[in-house]
Amino acid sequence: MELINRDHITVEFFFNRTKDKFKITNFTGERGFTRKIKEPNLHRPGLALAGFVDLFSYSRIQIFGNTEIRYLQSLDSGKRRSALEGLCRFDIPCMIISNGIEPFPEMMELSEIFDIAIFGSPDNTTRLNFFISDFLNDQFLPQESIHGSLIDVYGVGILFTGQSSVGKSEVALDLVERGHRLVADDVVIATKKGEGLLMGTGTDISKHFMEIRGLGLINVEKIFGIRSIRYQKRIEVVVNLEIWDANAEYTRTGLDDSTTTIMEVELPYVRLPIVPGKNITVITEVIALNYLLKHYGYDSAKVFQDRLARKLKEADGKSFSRGIDYFEHDFE
Amino acid sequence: MVKRKVKIVNRAGLHTRPAAMLVKIASKYKSQFFISKDDYRINGKSIIGVMTLAAAQGTELDLDFDGADEHTMADEICVFFERGFEET
Repeated sequence: MELINRDHITVEFFFNRTKDKFKITNFTGERGFTRKIKEPNLHRPGLALAGFVDLFSYSRIQIFGNTEIRYLQSLDSGKRRSALEGLCRFDIPCMIISNGIEPFPEMMELSEIFDIAIFGSPDNTTRLNFFISDFLNDQFLPQESIHGSLIDVYGVGILFTGQSSVGKSEVALDLVERGHRLVADDVVIATKKGEGLLMGTGTDISKHFMEIRGLGLINVEKIFGIRSIRYQKRIEVVVNLEIWDANAEYTRTGLDDSTTTIMEVELPYVRLPIVPGKNITVITEVIALNYLLKHYGYDSAKVFQDRLARKLKEADGKSFSRGIDYFEHDFE
Repeated sequence: MVKRKVKIVNRAGLHTRPAAMLVKIASKYKSQFFISKDDYRINGKSIIGVMTLAAAQGTELDLDFDGADEHTMADEICVFFERGFEET
């Protein structure tokens, strides 16, 4: 597992990813495309335009909303140019104008001189801020690549880990065949979306391909159809497939909740030894369903424990009785 | 743990055939083998992982080996890289 630290994205990357999603338009071609965006926050440069540049957050994307545009409109061309020039002298990543407003000729001119991109958005500033912040935040979230398979089993995101050739892909394939959905095999990119929230997805190149030993590469989506895949899933349970080890201790009651930590997120952890005759696929389905039961308030192990405790308290000397008292002439 | 740096020298890069050969060589050994490129770190015994790197000519990769036979494994794999996967 390895942390992916992204300390910047380029303006080009930003534009290519936002142009269709958020209808971002480009007034300046490839100008300023190599500039870097180093933080997810946005900035309204009102004060900087008025000449106050102490503490100016120049490393953020500069958003020109109604206020900035109105202010610039109120100036004559010369003053407007020098107000904008004051801004462009800083190493700003790019400028975005909201409300579908076209840039001033002075802005276009300065964009060429300083090599800075100017984008536009048809949305109002509040909406634009919301979308762009969300997009940028996601870009700067910590990511980690994990060697494993991620499957959606009955809506529960199960991450299989374990050493190479232990059979992660085979189990994943079996689950897909039974109607569950593959998110990624072999390379899972985990993104920490918030405290205790880990999202998993594949990579653009290996999306929904799988390697089955002795068979080679297969495309799960083409073979099993659209129902067999999904693009993203929250990682909820980690199942580690292990070669049976007589010396290792495996849980027998399920009362001791073991957990593992991925990117500081604590997740339920199941160590599953592989032995002949054990149907890992069915066990995985049970793991998922049991997780759901627990989530909705029913803990099988706990219920059994309580039942035993009650019996011990009754202390009628008998260890256990037959499950029913009387067969009621029913001999079926 | 053994760490090595290698460079892709053949023209076609780390494409399907050399990726498959690399995984085959790696699988002979017991040690864990990881390849890192830019932000990614993938298992060198996984064909999908290796192909995901999309390592073109000139790319530098960091390799790390961990296990009982890490030294012999590192040697054989580094030679395989240095020879450009027996391609030009």
